[in-house]
Amino acid sequence: MGDDAFTDINGKSISLDCQSHSSLCREFIVSSPKVSIGKVMVYTCCVWLVAYAVFFFTENTTVLSSAILITLVGMMLHIHFVKVDHESLLVIGSLGIQLSSSYASGRETTTFIERSKIKDIVINEAIYMHQIIYYLCVLLKEPSEPNAVSSVVPLFQSSKPRLNCLEKVYRSCQEVLSKC
Amino acid sequence: MTPSPLPERAIYGFVLFLGSQFGFFLYCLWAFIPEEWLHSVGLTYWPQKYWALAVPIYLLVVLMLVVLMLFGVNMNNTAPLDSVDSITDVYARSQTSESCHKGQIPRLKDVSISEVNKMFYFSPK
Repeated sequence: MGDDAFTDINGKSISLDCQSHSSLCREFIVSSPKVSIGKVMVYTCCVWLVAYAVFFFTENTTVLSSAILITLVGMMLHIHFVKVDHESLLVIGSLGIQLSSSYASGRETTTFIERSKIKDIVINEAIYMHQIIYYLCVLLKEPSEPNAVSSVVPLFQSSKPRLNCLEKVYRSCQEVLSKC
Repeated sequence: MTPSPLPERAIYGFVLFLGSQFGFFLYCLWAFIPEEWLHSVGLTYWPQKYWALAVPIYLLVVLMLVVLMLFGVNMNNTAPLDSVDSITDVYARSQTSESCHKGQIPRLKDVSISEVNKMFYFSPK
């Protein structure tokens, strides 16, 4: 149980951290790489060069100030709403599972699914854009119909790990879920 | 109906080929001959020459847009990752599990995704 380096479907490296808090409770944290300062600087320089070129031709200073404002607001919205730092899956046998994503600005969104609603955690394949990917998902069932799948909750959507990482998480989850 | 070549199909094909070449020749005639000559012969009620250029250009633009839109419509109609349709459907849910008698080939049916996963990912490596 420790840190492992895997890749996501696009080839970017991610890391998986498996922690076993007890025999019935395990946590899996998939971390994406942090926002690189080089990329931020390149992006800002390009935007400001374009804005300066437009200002050079139109002689309108609002172009410059609006470019600065748009860059700042855009970066703030990106790190608060879009850039996911790590996603975690906490499996507690006989209680339920907790999914949480934490964004680069520190914001965290958490969902808890109780054990009676969980039918299974499986690895499914589906078409995503132009490729077919493996992804881990939770199958939910209604208490009135224990044999039918009522809905599907995909896990690790922002980091999208590849099959070797998913297999590890799958085997570990099945051990915990089958104990109760 | 077989897709093999037949004499009738060869004749239809050749007739269509001749017809389309002749139609193109007539179109070129109409596009290139000046209006006064056509009026002097007596053909006065033909479309404006503007359309001789506009229609081919419209068709080419439509062709390019259709290619893009086909791709877009396909991507739009693909089921998202959280849809139940990628796990099961009406027919798989309503299948009955029958007991297989000894020696009989079991009936063809859909294997549930939990079993498939156990077969794939729990087998010893």
